[in-house]
Amino acid sequence: MKARIIAAVVLAAALATVASTATGSTKRASAQQVVVWVMTDAQNGWPGAIAAANAQFQQQHPGVDVNIQYQSWDTVLQKFDAALAANDAPDVIELGNSQTVKYMAAGAFSSLKAKNFPNSSTWLSGLKASCTYRGKLYCVPYYAGARAVIYRKDMYRQAGVKSVPKTYAQFLAANKKLKKKFGKNRNFSAFYEPGQNWYVATTFVEDWGGHIAVQEKNGKWKGTLDSPQAVKALTIFKSMVRKYSRASKTQDEAHPFPSIPFAKGRMASFIGNGWEWPYVFNPKGGAAPKSFEKKMGAYPMPSHIKGQYMPTFLGGSDLGIPISAKNKQLGADWIKAFTGTQSETLIAKAGNIANSTKLANVNAHNPSLAPFAKAAKYSWFVPMSPNWTNVENSHLLKQMLTAILTNRKSVQAATKSASKQITQILNASQ
Amino acid sequence: MSSRFSGSAAAVTETALPARRLRRSLGSRLASGAAPYLLILPACAVIGAVLGYPLFFMGRLSLQHYGLFQLIRHKGEWIGTRNYSHILHDGLFWHVVFRTLAFTAAAVSLTMVAGTLFALLLAQLGSKMRLLLTAGLIFVWAMPVVVAVAVWSWMTDFEFGVGNWLLTELHIGNFNHHDWFANTWSGWAIITLLVVWGAIPFVALMVYAGLTQVPQELVEAATSDGANPWQVFRDVTLPLLKPIFVILTSLSIIWDFQVFNQIWILLSGQPPPQYFTMSIYAFTTSFQQSEYGLGSAIALVMVAILLVVSFVYIRQMVKIGDAE
Amino acid sequence: MRTGRARGIALNAVALLVFAVMVFPVYWMVSTAFKPGRDIFADTPVWFPIHATLSNFGDAIHRPHFWADVKNSLIIVSVVVAMSLVLAFLAALALAKFRFYGRKAFIILIIGVQMIPLNALIIPIYLVLSKAHQVDKLSGVIVTYLTFVLPFTIWTLRGFMLGIPRDLEEASQVDGTTRFGAFLRILLPLIGPGLVATSIFAFIQAWNEYIMAYVLLHDPSKQTLTVWLASFTGDRGTAWGPLMAGATLTALPVVIFFVAVQRKIAFGLTAGAVRG
Repeated sequence: MKARIIAAVVLAAALATVASTATGSTKRASAQQVVVWVMTDAQNGWPGAIAAANAQFQQQHPGVDVNIQYQSWDTVLQKFDAALAANDAPDVIELGNSQTVKYMAAGAFSSLKAKNFPNSSTWLSGLKASCTYRGKLYCVPYYAGARAVIYRKDMYRQAGVKSVPKTYAQFLAANKKLKKKFGKNRNFSAFYEPGQNWYVATTFVEDWGGHIAVQEKNGKWKGTLDSPQAVKALTIFKSMVRKYSRASKTQDEAHPFPSIPFAKGRMASFIGNGWEWPYVFNPKGGAAPKSFEKKMGAYPMPSHIKGQYMPTFLGGSDLGIPISAKNKQLGADWIKAFTGTQSETLIAKAGNIANSTKLANVNAHNPSLAPFAKAAKYSWFVPMSPNWTNVENSHLLKQMLTAILTNRKSVQAATKSASKQITQILNASQ
Repeated sequence: MSSRFSGSAAAVTETALPARRLRRSLGSRLASGAAPYLLILPACAVIGAVLGYPLFFMGRLSLQHYGLFQLIRHKGEWIGTRNYSHILHDGLFWHVVFRTLAFTAAAVSLTMVAGTLFALLLAQLGSKMRLLLTAGLIFVWAMPVVVAVAVWSWMTDFEFGVGNWLLTELHIGNFNHHDWFANTWSGWAIITLLVVWGAIPFVALMVYAGLTQVPQELVEAATSDGANPWQVFRDVTLPLLKPIFVILTSLSIIWDFQVFNQIWILLSGQPPPQYFTMSIYAFTTSFQQSEYGLGSAIALVMVAILLVVSFVYIRQMVKIGDAE
Repeated sequence: MRTGRARGIALNAVALLVFAVMVFPVYWMVSTAFKPGRDIFADTPVWFPIHATLSNFGDAIHRPHFWADVKNSLIIVSVVVAMSLVLAFLAALALAKFRFYGRKAFIILIIGVQMIPLNALIIPIYLVLSKAHQVDKLSGVIVTYLTFVLPFTIWTLRGFMLGIPRDLEEASQVDGTTRFGAFLRILLPLIGPGLVATSIFAFIQAWNEYIMAYVLLHDPSKQTLTVWLASFTGDRGTAWGPLMAGATLTALPVVIFFVAVQRKIAFGLTAGAVRG
């Protein structure tokens, strides 16, 4: 009996030692590796660009390991905050271009010199703006994305929609025909619009001249979703969604991802990014065969103003070097490799907009991806306030939309309380 | 049960008797000096190392303004009790408190009642059916929470949920494309069901184990005295099972009050305020609003409320623990 | 117990219904794991995986770091279970057999620890572990898990020890063994079931935990299986087939552990539970 206890204690101690040494042996000295946090988008969408960047980096630094740790949008900021608190930050981190201001204002990044990075003189001005704070550069533009309507060419044809809608009125007419033709299927949406997709709702607001918030002369922000233009736009948005979309009103554009219902024929169209394209016929989980791609097309969302498109949200990502990173120079060199022409071309070919105007025409001859580049001609962006990320994190815009679309609140009431909250959050002190 | 555990069965009856024998042997142990302290030292060391400083730090944080700016510089701004007064004047906070209490009460009651009923059912079954049901309960208990929530998410999926399909086919209503979380009541019903479903096996198996320890002689004596099953349960079984019920209820209160994962994952990491419990509220304040000081204060208030709510049960547990 | 046949049948029917309802989600998870995509997303649910396929499992296993994460989870869980048994055994011994100054405080401590919301302590714990260079290390996670597993295991083992009749202990002392020797020789086999019950609890807690592992472990090759599972649901849609396959795989070790010790479970819960 005694022997058994001793054996158990020894075993426990042995396991503990094994555990710590097993993990200890894989930890190299920090000079030997560069730690990079990028989103799983790169892992799934453009792994070739990552490979190219790594190859280029290894040529420059033969002994150094590139430790890429793919992150998820939902959780990366929590991990980043914890790492910053403990001075454990990675050497390179990808942030969304609507999140960078908060971190720049808090002093999370080291300042950089544009001339050290490739193609910096031709960086997209929108992305460059999201990397500049008080005149200094704190991150490097990575890529941008524009949204357009992705649709089923065959369904449009069958419903008698002869050409792609060029005005909002034509858009509504097309959807009416689609609903008439396919509406008997209880799962069908002519236009699949998840209720919490605030990017599209704000697109409507901007098209009718409204904004989420404006900065007044005294520097203070004011939420303006309750302005007459915004209210009008959201009322039109609501009626369109209720008529033509059977998508969930409590979920956003990523939960669930529209790719699977689209592949199952449950919709004729939805608004998405260029990089969402391959998810339809090649998502993990098996939805549609590759031949499905022949049925797909895209066109920029037409505006109610003749001759224009509805302004799309110019999303994108930037790459920064945290102020407490252990290998800042290595991080910078990796960013140079990843944002150079070769890598950026691969990123653009995956359905994105490259960070430099030099590469604007990479997708010009690709009929699937060209509409997305066209759509970027008219765009809007979020209020450039350090507290904007907190507004996004609170999901209050999404909840406002759900309240409106489920008739829980009137458009006036919902926008009024949302605007009040936005004003409060944006003006909170640092 | 087997005769191997006649010792344990004897132990059961011992609780019902005065603990004279215990006290006699206890006297000789008062002189054991350092031994008990050495025995609890390792456990205390681990708990102290991992929780000691963090708790102290969290207390300090609750008295500071600690946003992202302060986090990067590792230096908070002292504001005294302003976080606490902000919480107490915040309408949302009180809604969250009430909601958490209501949810805990509902979940704990449902779990204890259903678990006890299942245990009683188990006691009445033949051995083959009992084995089947026990195996089923164990499968449910063994599922990691992350897995369980994933399955429930899938069953109530907006587009393809089998739960939606079933309810529609059974003509209970039209649940095609049903948004379970659009209506707060139905959303909470799903969450409560999920939590209770996962908690029942533990309660059922523990109570069943206790039931098997109830001496048959006592039950038969009561029955022959003319008591009906409910009276037997109330007068014979319940008093003997009281320690188990106290523990299970205390644990259930503690665990259900702190529910986080189920709500968080079911709502894709973005629960709206109507679905906030205190632990979610503390988490979102800290991490989404980057208000770590305020979040810490909320967490401490949460612990205080939990202590108050479970005070009666905790006191019982300490009494039980200290009695021997 | 004497029951009429009708009663017996009714009870069995109720039991079957309860079984079906409780186990259905488990069944649905496993059957979805074996279905091909077109059956998973069929407009009418496919109740039985007639076109069973292993492709979802293949997809799940081939995801990056699967085997590394399996190894990590197994290491963490075995060490947590082993160490918690040892530490809890010692502490429970103190509580069960000794009266000492501070005993009540210790009891309050172990009850109180369970009331602290883990999520609120993420950053402070991260800071403490970081100072001790335990971030991104399995040992850091192990020590954290121990803290949250110990209270219940101490309490349960204490209950088992109290269930040991005094005379057995005293009989062994007459033989001339030391008191500690008596404890070990007599106590251990009798509380064997208690050790099993508490090890199951520790196993489940450690295996299930998600958020601390997620924050404390950065390197994907060091993460646990539950964090790996979370990667299936992302902001780019959920891969339901592979997720269910991954979920089945993640639940498997717990079930195996249960099956291995299942005969002891009922006995273990019996003896310990009633003592409180």
